[in-house]
Amino acid sequence: MIAIETNTLSKDYESSFGKKKVRALNELDLIIDKGTIFGLLGPNGAGKTTLVKLLLQIIYPTYGNANLLGEDINNYHLKKKIGYLPEDHKYPPYLAGGEVLKFFGKLSGLNGPILDKRIDELLELVNLSKWKKSKVKTYSKGMMQRLGLAQSLINDPELIFLDEPTDGVDPIGRKEIRDILLELKSRSKTIFLNSHLLSEVELITDRVGILNKGKLLREGTVKELTERKEEYKLTLNDDLPELNKYAADNMIITKNQDGSYAVKVDDIRTMNILVDKLRVDNILIKEIILQKNTLEDMFISLINEEEKGGTV
Amino acid sequence: MNNIFQIILFTIREALARKVFIFFGAIILLALGGTLLVFLLVDIDTLTSMANQSGQNYMMQEIVNSLELLIVTPLANLGLLLAIFSSSSFVPVMLEKGNIDLLLSKPISRTQLILGKYLGVVFFVFLNIFFFVFGVWLIISIKFGYWDASFLTLSFVITFAFSVLYALILLFGVMTKNSILGMMVAYFIFLILSPLLLLYNEKLNEFVTNEIVSTILDGFYFIVPQTAEIMGRIMIDLAMGKGIANFQPIITSFLFLILVVIFSVFLFRKKDF
Repeated sequence: MIAIETNTLSKDYESSFGKKKVRALNELDLIIDKGTIFGLLGPNGAGKTTLVKLLLQIIYPTYGNANLLGEDINNYHLKKKIGYLPEDHKYPPYLAGGEVLKFFGKLSGLNGPILDKRIDELLELVNLSKWKKSKVKTYSKGMMQRLGLAQSLINDPELIFLDEPTDGVDPIGRKEIRDILLELKSRSKTIFLNSHLLSEVELITDRVGILNKGKLLREGTVKELTERKEEYKLTLNDDLPELNKYAADNMIITKNQDGSYAVKVDDIRTMNILVDKLRVDNILIKEIILQKNTLEDMFISLINEEEKGGTV
Repeated sequence: MNNIFQIILFTIREALARKVFIFFGAIILLALGGTLLVFLLVDIDTLTSMANQSGQNYMMQEIVNSLELLIVTPLANLGLLLAIFSSSSFVPVMLEKGNIDLLLSKPISRTQLILGKYLGVVFFVFLNIFFFVFGVWLIISIKFGYWDASFLTLSFVITFAFSVLYALILLFGVMTKNSILGMMVAYFIFLILSPLLLLYNEKLNEFVTNEIVSTILDGFYFIVPQTAEIMGRIMIDLAMGKGIANFQPIITSFLFLILVVIFSVFLFRKKDF
């Protein structure tokens, strides 16, 4: 089942006098399955927020189309099944936290005791129960963020868009938000996450997309994106200065500072040939680890390549 | 309808939270307090005996309505200026980044949202105006023992004049996300253009000999909302119980209001935020 589907979705912004067009999103084709957490990464101005705004019809596409939960995005009734936490959300300062949730709950079609119960549950979930009757103008940034998260969940949505949900939240609060998102995922909710915090995205997302200058550069699981298929870290029990004599063709072995070896190979068979040769000579292998990038390493190198105009 | 109702309620809540509307309410209370004080001090026996001598209820009606009008007219005009000032930022504030994103992410159509905001402001201003007109009417009616509820229709007329001007603020608010331009245009029409066109239509048109200029000015007179006439002659006639002799200013102003609101909704539905 598909939660989000875009077809050549594009958005041009016009400059002040309409003379110059800036392409914020460039023919995006994207499919996100239901029940997954999708993380969209990209530098500032990459088009991440533009994409979310397009999907929610806060802005309109220049061309292309999209479906959410199998329905055309033009149908505003669809939003009954959607939650959204914008990046710079503002709530009326004269309302208390509970009143904010009540207002947005009513706009989402909820009412009466069901809404009241939902408000209490959500405030409990985001640790704001004690602040239910306090005006939001007295809330800290982190509290506003948690209230925003509660607001995005008020209608028990199937699909949730979160734009920088942990912005301004302390590490404990971030962990709590991550736990909430994982709990939502366990209840088959689909979460679309825009975030600058790559380490956080790495921790909770099933799939990640990397957007730059409106183009989707990569998309896949964190594992797929961070794996360096050709590189292994090999640690032997004893130092072996002549390891290179075991090297097969197209294999590059270099010694790491910690005494281990970096072995670059074409594929896993070549690596196994090396292991076989070492074992024939009774050389003890302590550890073989497939080397991975962190998401951050991969992200930075990808963006740098793109900035240099390299092929991706 | 539920969505529009929610936005109206939300707008009223927003208005109550604004200090400028508290100021608005304070002025009304002050005006009502002043009226009450004056009528507590003033001896009305002379006026009553005049009414009795004539033996006509009509005389009493004239006295009462004139007094009511005397109090309401200047304060209603002042109140209209203040209402425009205090409500001009409602739409731009709603359109601010972080506010509008949230509202548009909810299952509410853009038409419902903008109409709800417009109607919410108009309704809140109506409540203030009605409170004022009703207060003046109540004090004077108790004092004179003469009750003529037709005076209360003034609150609808004043609100109508406001709603016409506020349509312009809505339009410019949607276009510019700013309150200044809309407010300036509303003040310009209310204080300058509409009174000048009324003056032209009633007194100066015979001095304009050029047919083209005359046609243009006549056209303007019928296009521009005739708030001067609504807040002047129509209000007086209604207060004096004469009814509305000429509906043309109301009809043309209403058409103007409808067109401007429709255009505002059209723009709002197309706009990126």
